[in-house]
Amino acid sequence: MRRRVAIVGYAQSHHQHNMQKTREDMVFEVCKGALRHAGISREDLDTVITASTDFLDGRTISSVFVGMAAGAFLKDESKVEEDGTFALYYALMRVLAGTHDIALVEAHTQGSTMNAHQVSCFTLDPQFDRQIGVLNDIAAAALQARMYMNSHGVTDEHLAMVAVKNLSNAAANPWAHRKMAKVSVEEVLGSKVLCDPVRELMMSPVSDGACAVIIASEEKAREITSKPVWIEGVGSCQEAYIRDRDLGRLESLKTAARTAYKMAGIKEPAADLDVVELSEKFAHEELMAYESLGLCREGEGKRLIEKGTTGKEGKIPVNPSGGALGADPVCATGLVRVIEAAKQIRGEAEGCQVPKVRRALAHGQFGMCAQKNMVFVLGGNGS
Amino acid sequence: MGYLKDERPTTIGVEGGWNLGAYHYKGSRLLEEYVAGLKHKKLTGSFCPGCARVIVPPRNLCGRCHRKMDGRKTVSDRGTITCFVVSPPIYKGKLKVLGMDPVEIGLVKDGQVVIPVFVKFDGSDSNTDTVLLNADPKDVHIGMRVKVVWAKELQGSLADVEGVEPI
Repeated sequence: MRRRVAIVGYAQSHHQHNMQKTREDMVFEVCKGALRHAGISREDLDTVITASTDFLDGRTISSVFVGMAAGAFLKDESKVEEDGTFALYYALMRVLAGTHDIALVEAHTQGSTMNAHQVSCFTLDPQFDRQIGVLNDIAAAALQARMYMNSHGVTDEHLAMVAVKNLSNAAANPWAHRKMAKVSVEEVLGSKVLCDPVRELMMSPVSDGACAVIIASEEKAREITSKPVWIEGVGSCQEAYIRDRDLGRLESLKTAARTAYKMAGIKEPAADLDVVELSEKFAHEELMAYESLGLCREGEGKRLIEKGTTGKEGKIPVNPSGGALGADPVCATGLVRVIEAAKQIRGEAEGCQVPKVRRALAHGQFGMCAQKNMVFVLGGNGS
Repeated sequence: MGYLKDERPTTIGVEGGWNLGAYHYKGSRLLEEYVAGLKHKKLTGSFCPGCARVIVPPRNLCGRCHRKMDGRKTVSDRGTITCFVVSPPIYKGKLKVLGMDPVEIGLVKDGQVVIPVFVKFDGSDSNTDTVLLNADPKDVHIGMRVKVVWAKELQGSLADVEGVEPI
């Protein structure tokens, strides 16, 4: 990148099932929190980018109220649909372009205000799939899980092991929603079958939550903090709609990761990355992501979870925060991963801290069966 | 969702909806041809001259080649299951398929499971979502050979394909 850009501040809400706050209050608190964390004021911001979807917000042009809560009053402002990592990408481009130096990125969803899984049906092709009426996000994920499991001999137990790892990791995360320190494989397998093989504890809980990240150009970043977290690589990729692709692979994640790795100079992801934060909306997606991110060979994802390689004490910890299975404030989930990765680098990850993190990967996704993927590689010298 | 909900004091809530009425989505000529072909037990796909892929049901554009899929190709009504799920039991009034209650129209019995499947019809390069009929859930597997179950009275509508069944 021609200009170095760093994360200099962040904040997130206590993600939960039914937050007793308005959407604007929730957004305001995380944006104030991020400004406080960076030690700057609203007046220092050059641009504000927010992320959500109008369907999930339940109103059109939904940023008209959120903008003020995010600190955009009489400022350059824009909104991105879907995941917060897409908004971070947009903000990064604005800073790289040299037209802005400091950007605040905010993302949110209040999942309790409607049935988010019902909303997922509106992403389906209205001319065919909606008419047929057998798919929603859970059924599509179950199809994908079945296809992946069939290709590589992955069992229900492997999916349950992912859930156990992430839900027990979430227990140490003060911001997580679903904390289950003592959850077992048996309990996961015994939880309600939503659409076989997907069970309740293998699917992310739809949460109320928000988060905000502040990024700055190198010059400004060094003024603001002694612990900048550099954005070293970024990759974004979308693949075809669910019917027209090989659901058993996450090809767009593979491409996004390859792009980010090239930019960051990463040649051996499993050795070069110290921690990974994933937006796994379903347990099987985490195993698929191990392969797409190059942490193992194709079909070997199950080995990493079997051997504990991706556990908090493992060689390449994945989701020490609990990941999306621990909390899923839909549009904020990817940006929360960026925050968790940055916290690891700065040594601020509290009970989720992994020792000696210099390089971390954060992943965001949107669309059925992870159609769109975004990868950020972050780096820094830590505390 | 017993794992998620805690008792909390509630704040002010206002009931609201977003009832915009029905959308009138613009359909493609290709889909019109597909639907018309069903009346003659014909599955029409779109063919991409760039990558030679055949997509069923047809789509106007090929994302890979970034061009219009001008061609047509009829594919077989026999194919292979590429993935499947077995639903929880379906009860009357709980599900709509093509706008109809599958229990009420006699597609499934009250309390019976439904098996949504992706099928790759012979000659096609894409998946088509439909349901597996006349099969024991224990027998369904990826790679299973199936054929279309056509409606008794074909009308040139999506409902002409009731589902697929094992060959």
